[in-house]
Amino acid sequence: MLEATLNFKLLEQCSKCGACFSICPSCMHIPGYDPRAVIQDILDGNHDKWLSSRHIWQCLECHHCLEICYQHYGFENAMTALRTIAAKKGIHPTQVKRGWEMFVKTSRLGEPALPARKKLGLPEPKASGAEEFKKLFALLKAAREKQENPEGKGSE
Amino acid sequence: MKEFAVFWGCTIQTRFPFIEKSTRIVLESFKLPYRDIDGFTCCPEKSLVNNIDHGAFVVTAARNVALVDELDYDLVSPCTGCVSNLATVKGELKANPREKAEVNKLLKEVGREFKGTSKLQHLVPFFHDTVGVHAIKQKIKKDFSGMRIGIHYGCHMIRPSHALRNDDPLEPKKFDTLISALGAQSLQFMTKMMCCGQGLDRIDEHDRALHFARIKLKELKSLGCDAMVLCCPSCFLQFDNNQFLMEKEGEKFGIPVIYFTELLGLAMGYKPEELGMDLHRVDCTPFVKKWEALSTRPPREDAIEDGLNAPVDL
Ligand code: SF4
Ligand code: SF4
Repeated sequence: MLEATLNFKLLEQCSKCGACFSICPSCMHIPGYDPRAVIQDILDGNHDKWLSSRHIWQCLECHHCLEICYQHYGFENAMTALRTIAAKKGIHPTQVKRGWEMFVKTSRLGEPALPARKKLGLPEPKASGAEEFKKLFALLKAAREKQENPEGKGSE
Repeated sequence: MKEFAVFWGCTIQTRFPFIEKSTRIVLESFKLPYRDIDGFTCCPEKSLVNNIDHGAFVVTAARNVALVDELDYDLVSPCTGCVSNLATVKGELKANPREKAEVNKLLKEVGREFKGTSKLQHLVPFFHDTVGVHAIKQKIKKDFSGMRIGIHYGCHMIRPSHALRNDDPLEPKKFDTLISALGAQSLQFMTKMMCCGQGLDRIDEHDRALHFARIKLKELKSLGCDAMVLCCPSCFLQFDNNQFLMEKEGEKFGIPVIYFTELLGLAMGYKPEELGMDLHRVDCTPFVKKWEALSTRPPREDAIEDGLNAPVDL
């Protein structure tokens, strides 16, 4: 349910194109960052070798590739899919993990800086939706488990 | 004008409350119908949440949008990331009725419904489209003529364009138009559209993040830029905080980083401290000093007039 997936038909076209390479900031400024190689490996069935690579996280999600892509696809979709797979296997930069955990726990990535607000004369921050969010997140997990285990036989 | 909820987002409220300050000052002075509402969570931040769980990304954003849908408000945010993420999910759900039904089935259990009827806008295009250049010009007490500004759009103000639909995604104009309306010169430079690179700090690659900041700051310095103007807390973090860290190591650029609402506030006559600009890491005083010096200069017309009236020495 609601998963990011790879689109092989579009990736086939990428392997003959590469136009976004010329506009991608990471391609320009990070030695060795080249989604063309990644895409070729995905097509050859070797996506595994990129899962522990730093490169898949160096995509800045700036959407430049998406905008110039004639398929409206973009390198980034391939990189996002690989990041999702890597994350599922528990391979991700520490800060990503930390951010995710804080998000799940509090529904935010930080709490309003109260003393500074007071000094600036800002109003009390509004109530957050943390409780409702937690419920919703639990519902999402339950719906997924039900989908994977329709009979209700044991869950992970 | 339709009422709108302001979506402050986590980064501004956690790290840069002074950005909230200048935004509120400006919204108040324009008497805009903005509201603070209960119940928002993180938008959520795409690179952290979407990479780990696309489903959590979608339902969280859908719930935030549902809150404004319900009240029949629009939404405006001074954070590019928040708007871009919310709009991305809104676009995804509108294009995909099955997914929308799935999401709404979950939302229903917490008493919400995603409709996607509210308009989601970033503050800069909002000022351009909804407030309008004309209204802005009427509020200016002292413009920025003679000042050289390097605009940093911030990727997510304009992209992905299929979701945001607010400007040309590769050659945007609206921010430039606003800066010109304030009388400043908006510099055209090679790295203008380059991503700030702050994302690299989030994946434990601090040196590389500095490298990205350095590229743009170096170019702006070489062009005699008086300040970089932007409207995204992540980009602000990258160029203010990281520039400061480089300065501490002896690499000085001296490019003040000014939030759009701060620049607008200055033009409207607010003091830098009222706008919270004294809380920046990189000193904004050189910018303000130069601006003041320029505006105490007699107008050019006077100089010509004086020349014409001066006694002729034959
Ligand atoms: S989104 Fe990623 S792959 Fe695409 S241009 Fe930006 S950095 Fe490159
Ligand atoms: S993502 Fe689009 S522009 Fe980039 S290589 Fe593939 S088809 Fe070409």
